[in-house]
Amino acid sequence: MEIAVLVKPVPDAETRLRPDAKGLALDPEGVKWVLAGYDESAVEQALLLKEAAPGTTVRAISYGPVARAEEVLRSALALGCDAATSLEAPPEAPTDAVSVARALALALTKHPASLVLCGKQAGDDEGGIVGPAVAELLGLPDLGVATNVRWDGGPGGLTMERSVEGGLEQGRTALPALVALQQAWNDPRTAKLPNILKSRKAPIERIPAAEVAAAMAPSAATAPRRLGFRLPPPRTGAKMIEYKTPEEAAEKLVRILREEAKVFP
Amino acid sequence: MVDFSLTEEQTSLRDMARKFAKGEMAPHAAECDRAGRFPEEIYRKAWELGLMNLNVPTEFGGSGLGLFEQCLIVEELSRACAGMTTSIIANCLALEPILLGGTDEQKHRLLDPFCASYHLASFCLTEPSGGSDAGSLKTRARRDGDHYVLDGEKCFITNGPFASLYTVFATLDPSLRHKGIVAFAVPRETHGVVPGKEEEKMGHRASATSTVRFEGARVPVANRLGAETEGFSIAMRTLDQTRTPIGALATGIAQAALDHAADYSKRRQTFGKPISEHQAIQIKLADMAQALHAARLLTWQAAWTIDHGQPGSLESAMAKCFASDAAMRVADEAIQVFGGYGYMKDYPVEKLLRDAKLAQIYEGSNEIQRIVIARELLARYA
Repeated sequence: MEIAVLVKPVPDAETRLRPDAKGLALDPEGVKWVLAGYDESAVEQALLLKEAAPGTTVRAISYGPVARAEEVLRSALALGCDAATSLEAPPEAPTDAVSVARALALALTKHPASLVLCGKQAGDDEGGIVGPAVAELLGLPDLGVATNVRWDGGPGGLTMERSVEGGLEQGRTALPALVALQQAWNDPRTAKLPNILKSRKAPIERIPAAEVAAAMAPSAATAPRRLGFRLPPPRTGAKMIEYKTPEEAAEKLVRILREEAKVFP
Repeated sequence: MVDFSLTEEQTSLRDMARKFAKGEMAPHAAECDRAGRFPEEIYRKAWELGLMNLNVPTEFGGSGLGLFEQCLIVEELSRACAGMTTSIIANCLALEPILLGGTDEQKHRLLDPFCASYHLASFCLTEPSGGSDAGSLKTRARRDGDHYVLDGEKCFITNGPFASLYTVFATLDPSLRHKGIVAFAVPRETHGVVPGKEEEKMGHRASATSTVRFEGARVPVANRLGAETEGFSIAMRTLDQTRTPIGALATGIAQAALDHAADYSKRRQTFGKPISEHQAIQIKLADMAQALHAARLLTWQAAWTIDHGQPGSLESAMAKCFASDAAMRVADEAIQVFGGYGYMKDYPVEKLLRDAKLAQIYEGSNEIQRIVIARELLARYA
């Protein structure tokens, strides 16, 4: 079985975010781009399927500026993916989900996969559209969000589970298909040191910007454009209660909750 | 041209160690320190990820890293917990004599198990009657057919109670001094190998330290490392390799101390403003940052020197000595920045001072390092 995992470079959670000079995007200066969140679960799911079904290969695919995309692809290789494809973002490319999905679909037409996995939404903008859009563009059944996927080899051999309110839903289907992974139920592994060293030297296929731009072209004219990027206003300070006894503190707190915060009637 | 930037490979190794240190070590550092607990589950995870046996070449299944990369990793681990780091890197120290003195057959036979599954090894040089004066050690080795018989006691042995292999230095004849010292690889199951009880220590309390006694322990000649006259040289060359990472370990403690102090100084208010806005505190932070930075650069240079095939005795002695002294000063100042809270065990900085102290003592006390530095220095003025 050929599995493709779509991974997005997102800023490391510890990055101090700030807008760029034009106020249009995140300032990339000093940002560390990482494989994170649901995408990590998708990679872990792909590797678990690979371990369960010998002969399975896993290709990680990422779109973005070359250095960013290749950084997360190297992380995916270090974790155990077999191959990696980087789609070079064209200069001034549209940033909307459908355009990005067109780029990713290009890689999948070059490397058809029987199972496409992705995170249910990106770790930064939490859009959740790219995966379904890729399925639509390639005519793949989109099975929605799963918490666990198993493959037993037979026809209709893909079993998937997802959490639903108060329970667990199970279903079976045939391949090909696209599945988006829910949160990290599977406790994504950490890359081992020798594999990190190997991944730095592993080849990464690069699809050049011109080819990617051509794939993105059909919706370029209608793609929504971002108007601005800014930080939320800073939170206002906490209110300190001056008191001498605990009783006084409680009395003042209740008064504030009642009269100012209006928590109690 | 001097270039202080890290390669992508070095950055990814450092990031991986940082992630492990933050995710696996730091959450347990205070509890292990308080209880004096040896967190074997953490050491097993470190082994699984390839963070142990960093110096063992890949042909024997190790990580095969240069000293510089080892230092990057050790600093990150130590930033989370120096005690755990000591236990994680003890294999590098204990296995180095095999790398330096072992034949290919010995390397495969003795090192393969460490890379195939989780095992600990201990370096046994120091004795109750002395550590720095290694030439006068008292543990005896007596040849008996195709075995040697070992008798004596080693002390302050890291991972002593848990090791499956001991690299042991013993003398054939104390009157021969350095020339009588022989190195051995002694499996734990050897009859007459008796690890003692765990010591109660001031710091590095997540690491286990004990005596190891040899009571007529019969070691096959096949487990002698190098020639009968080479033991002392193997011991000294081992410490030449492992001294620099102690500089990195101390740098990690200093970095942790500065991290805590700077963070606290921005949150703690006195006289109506954060104490980071008082010059008295700014001066402390600036001095701490300088000491830390110098410690790191000396360590990097020592590692670079040795990785480039130069002896590096002077550089590694300077790195270990300066960085551990710096870690003491920086940890001390971090406590001062925290004030009364810094003295309390509920806050993380007093542990750093206790941990830093050991870095001034083990792997060659800082007095010995200064003797090495002076000797190397004066030789250049001949």
